[in-house]
Amino acid sequence: MDDYYVRPAKIKDIDFLVETIIEAEKSGSEILSYTSIFGLSEIEARKYINKMLNEEVDGCDLSVSSFLIAEKEGQLAAALSMWVEGLDGELPSSELKGNLLIHCLPIEAFEYAKKVSHHFSDLHIECEPGTLCIGGGYVAPAHRGKGLLKTLNEKHIINAMKLNPPPHEVFAQIFSNNLPSIKTYEKLGFEQIAVYSSKYANIKEFFPSDKKILLRKQI
Amino acid sequence: MEKKEIKSKLTDIFRTEFNDETLVIVEEMTAKDVSNWDSLSHALMIADVESVFSIKFKLKELNKIKNVGVLIDLIESKLAE
Repeated sequence: MDDYYVRPAKIKDIDFLVETIIEAEKSGSEILSYTSIFGLSEIEARKYINKMLNEEVDGCDLSVSSFLIAEKEGQLAAALSMWVEGLDGELPSSELKGNLLIHCLPIEAFEYAKKVSHHFSDLHIECEPGTLCIGGGYVAPAHRGKGLLKTLNEKHIINAMKLNPPPHEVFAQIFSNNLPSIKTYEKLGFEQIAVYSSKYANIKEFFPSDKKILLRKQI
Repeated sequence: MEKKEIKSKLTDIFRTEFNDETLVIVEEMTAKDVSNWDSLSHALMIADVESVFSIKFKLKELNKIKNVGVLIDLIESKLAE
């Protein structure tokens, strides 16, 4: 892997984790759900994602502890979040994320979101308890083509297999427009098991695509 | 405020935020029992609870709400503060 070093993320990595979450949410498009749903600017969205990560809650895609980082010569190159859903009796990741959102975002953001929230449930995929769930991944442009997402994926799985009981499945949720990401995961042994489609005509104002693909790998 | 009234107001909030006018809340209810309970509807539900009951939850308190019964108890204790 060319002198790249993989390690758990720390609070000092937060700026890179914010970048990871933003780029993963955009999923290869220009649409960022944090801005479109909550009426925030991208600068504001970054500020609030930073604030949510700083709470150091475990068990969701806004957890520092869910991220592994690849770095080379002190430069952060890639990050990927994965967690075991409901580990040690924790709340579902969707509730942990919801709690972080209400705790950290301004109340005006929810007045905005209230007007449109009912349209999004078709694209919600709940994580199964006891399974390994992939959050967001990102490779900095200068470090692409080096197999870093594959390496981070494998390291996450190795770590998870040490748990008692270990998970037996890994799930990834990818918007259908993000063909490179879907192909990457298929090369890693994931298979498409379901497609979730939104019936809302304006869904692409809020999300990168009107379809979300659920992929699974047995481990 | 009595638990009965808390439960009644909570029912209204749940029916609105989870878009189900027939929803009946029970103490053992969790997210897996309710359609449309995702991170956004969860956050909106909590925002409504805080507004309707004029209370504010700490993050630690929110992350201990395992079911509707715990939420009702927490609302009751916050109102008594």
